[in-house]
Amino acid sequence: MIVQVIVKANTYFDSVSLMSLSTKANQIDGVEQAIIAMGTEMNKEVISNVGLMTVEIEEAKTSDLMIIVKAENERICANALEEIEELLTKKNTTKGTSEARYSTIKSAAENIPEANLVVIAVNGAYAPREAKKALENNLHVMMFSDNVSVEDEIELKQLAHEKGLLMMGPDCGTAIIGNVALCFANAVRKGNIGIVGASGTGSQEISVRIHEFGGGITQLIGTGGRDLSKEVGGIMMLDGIKALEEDEATKVIVLVSKPPAPSVEEKVLAQIQLCTKPVVVWFVGGDEEKVTKAGGHFAKMSKEAALKAVLLAGADESKLNKRALNLPLIEEVRAKLTSEQKYIRGLFSGGTLCDEAMHIAMEKFSDVYSNIQREPEYRLKDVKVSQGHTFIDFGDDQFTQGKPHPMIDPSTRIERFIQEAKDPSVGVILMDFVLGFGAHEDPVGVMLPAIIEAKQLAESEGRHLEIIGYILGTELDSQNIEGQVNKLIAAGATHASSSQNAGLLAREFVVKGE
Amino acid sequence: MNLQNRGETRDMIYAKSGNNDFIQRITRSKLNGFIHSTFKHTLNIQCLEDGELYTIACKEIDNGPNTLIVDAASIKEWNVQVNDKVCTGNNHISLGNKLTITIERANCWEGILPTYPTDIFVLKKNVEQMKRHIETYGTGGGIKSKSFCESPFELEMSKMLHERTNLVLNELLNKQIQRALKHAVSLIGLGPGLTPSGDDFLVGLFTTFHLNGSYLSQHKEFCKEIEKVAKTATNDISYMALKKASDGKVRESIITLIEVLLTGEKEELILSLNNVLNIGSSSGTDIALGILAGLEINFKNGGLLNDCSSNS
Repeated sequence: MIVQVIVKANTYFDSVSLMSLSTKANQIDGVEQAIIAMGTEMNKEVISNVGLMTVEIEEAKTSDLMIIVKAENERICANALEEIEELLTKKNTTKGTSEARYSTIKSAAENIPEANLVVIAVNGAYAPREAKKALENNLHVMMFSDNVSVEDEIELKQLAHEKGLLMMGPDCGTAIIGNVALCFANAVRKGNIGIVGASGTGSQEISVRIHEFGGGITQLIGTGGRDLSKEVGGIMMLDGIKALEEDEATKVIVLVSKPPAPSVEEKVLAQIQLCTKPVVVWFVGGDEEKVTKAGGHFAKMSKEAALKAVLLAGADESKLNKRALNLPLIEEVRAKLTSEQKYIRGLFSGGTLCDEAMHIAMEKFSDVYSNIQREPEYRLKDVKVSQGHTFIDFGDDQFTQGKPHPMIDPSTRIERFIQEAKDPSVGVILMDFVLGFGAHEDPVGVMLPAIIEAKQLAESEGRHLEIIGYILGTELDSQNIEGQVNKLIAAGATHASSSQNAGLLAREFVVKGE
Repeated sequence: MNLQNRGETRDMIYAKSGNNDFIQRITRSKLNGFIHSTFKHTLNIQCLEDGELYTIACKEIDNGPNTLIVDAASIKEWNVQVNDKVCTGNNHISLGNKLTITIERANCWEGILPTYPTDIFVLKKNVEQMKRHIETYGTGGGIKSKSFCESPFELEMSKMLHERTNLVLNELLNKQIQRALKHAVSLIGLGPGLTPSGDDFLVGLFTTFHLNGSYLSQHKEFCKEIEKVAKTATNDISYMALKKASDGKVRESIITLIEVLLTGEKEELILSLNNVLNIGSSSGTDIALGILAGLEINFKNGGLLNDCSSNS
């Protein structure tokens, strides 16, 4: 192993930049360890204790910035130091980025030979043609476009399978490939856990919880929501599992989806049996026995799945904050709600977050309705009118035709929120706020006046209205999660620390007679 | 608004508020120096007369010792460079030939830490709340350990911070001030970030030494002894924070947190605690943990006691 050092005299960067640079430096390929720290005697003592002391470090002064890289050979060290220097320079300048536009995939592939993935977000009518061109140019595909026929999807996925490429989508909203977040994804740490997800916000939730537990992600492969249908046969899910099985950096695999069609489920379980790596399975509302029989690790809920994954990946359980439910708060809220206030109204921008909260409610209540219920009997007759406990996915097609996704434009949800707040039978309104790339820059902020208005309205009618907000994101996301949480709390809402806890809190708040 | 000066055009902006000492320096005595360091929201001036650092900060930053808050969102556009000359005169402070700040509309801020209460019931309740909040929302990587250490360096750093803070606290709990001093010195300059975590922890701890009427307030010289060593053991910026804290001068957000801890309700506490936790990367958490540690010592060693049993 080689150790190379740069000492930058009288150089100051703020702590947030230093921490972020240090994280990025440790993720450079081939780097075993990178340290960026001020040259104090005490820091030098730590460096000495881990066997990296050099003459340059000994001579560093308290106001100097030390950059230390340990890697297999001199070339990797030098490249890494160069990359760190570039990162430092970027932090110090405000230069804009340049953009090149290419009119065809072919010309883009020729001009950027190092590119190996195409994101397609054109109208669904044209998306298959572009995806085919990309696959023929040996490029992986992430297709954000929807309204693509199932026949086209099968053809594209079979072509990708034959060529050993990824065909993520159609209707794939989330992926993290090579530590680059694509479309709606969160900024999370690089690590040793790989995810294959047929549901966007479900995969986001798992990646964020893993990050919060201190773990990190190798790849997050999206499949598109229809991949596990009988027709498509789970081609991408199966290829994704194989890809992560072969990926050296991945030590644990997590699968995220609604329950697959029975014929596909068999194939997925058979694939799990072939895996040498532990596989955690979170199929919302799925069957524990089948998964366990196949040698998988079943998780009923999202946080549980992330926790199992980080523990299998080597985390020290005693150091993890599992964020237990706040039981005194449950008692406090129950006492505030009247006997008439017995319903939850879940208003979601994330489909899987909605699904998870709905399944949690279904464990204790029979009258749970939704626009995404699998049982036709419990599907909302009119999506504009709530029945019993109602959970609405505002990202579903009924709400997004001709309108942006609610993660970008929350106006439809705001209107519905006020409507629900006026209903005296409602005890709890539950909402998600999704941060990350592509999402609204201030999702809590835009909802804030409505939350305050709803609280005042309920108060003027002599009732307590409990509003629960869950913010999906990390401290690395650009929206400043702390600020978002503070806003939510300041408006008098309850902040839930995970999708799972949000669902459990909502359910427990309105349970009567326990 | 522009101010013409010797044929050059300099932008002028207004200071919103400023620490009393800094404003006095501008109005009554001279301050000559140069730009020491620049960041996105703050810049530091090295004063040639007294050697101290003075900070110009954007409006999103809270008041603090030697700090002037200006009506601007970022300093990046000012194009001020390290080593640019700084001078004062006529209620203005000029940064190179690039910018003039006037203090005509600035409110004077003086941070005074409250007195330790005789009845500590509310304080104890709030301290428990604060502990729980930090466990959940505090940033790891400094005094609060991460659940995952990404490298042997992080692991070793975490171990050393943990061991040394515990040694300081145990000695203070045992009223062994001199022994605590020895271990506290070994925290200076230890840790990641611009202001090392060990320094931030000591800033929080020093704050509790300046709550008059508390057990630790009898041992303020502990802070001054550490400050003497810190001058050469850590960088200028972190040293300045330690120096000021050793005199009980800390940022407004820290003072507000202490005030709320003594008498406030849960909601107020969470808001003021979050303001401290948002300082730097892990700095806010490290400071908050220093405050918690000092308050625990005050609880255990008694409040308004004329305790002479220590070895100080």
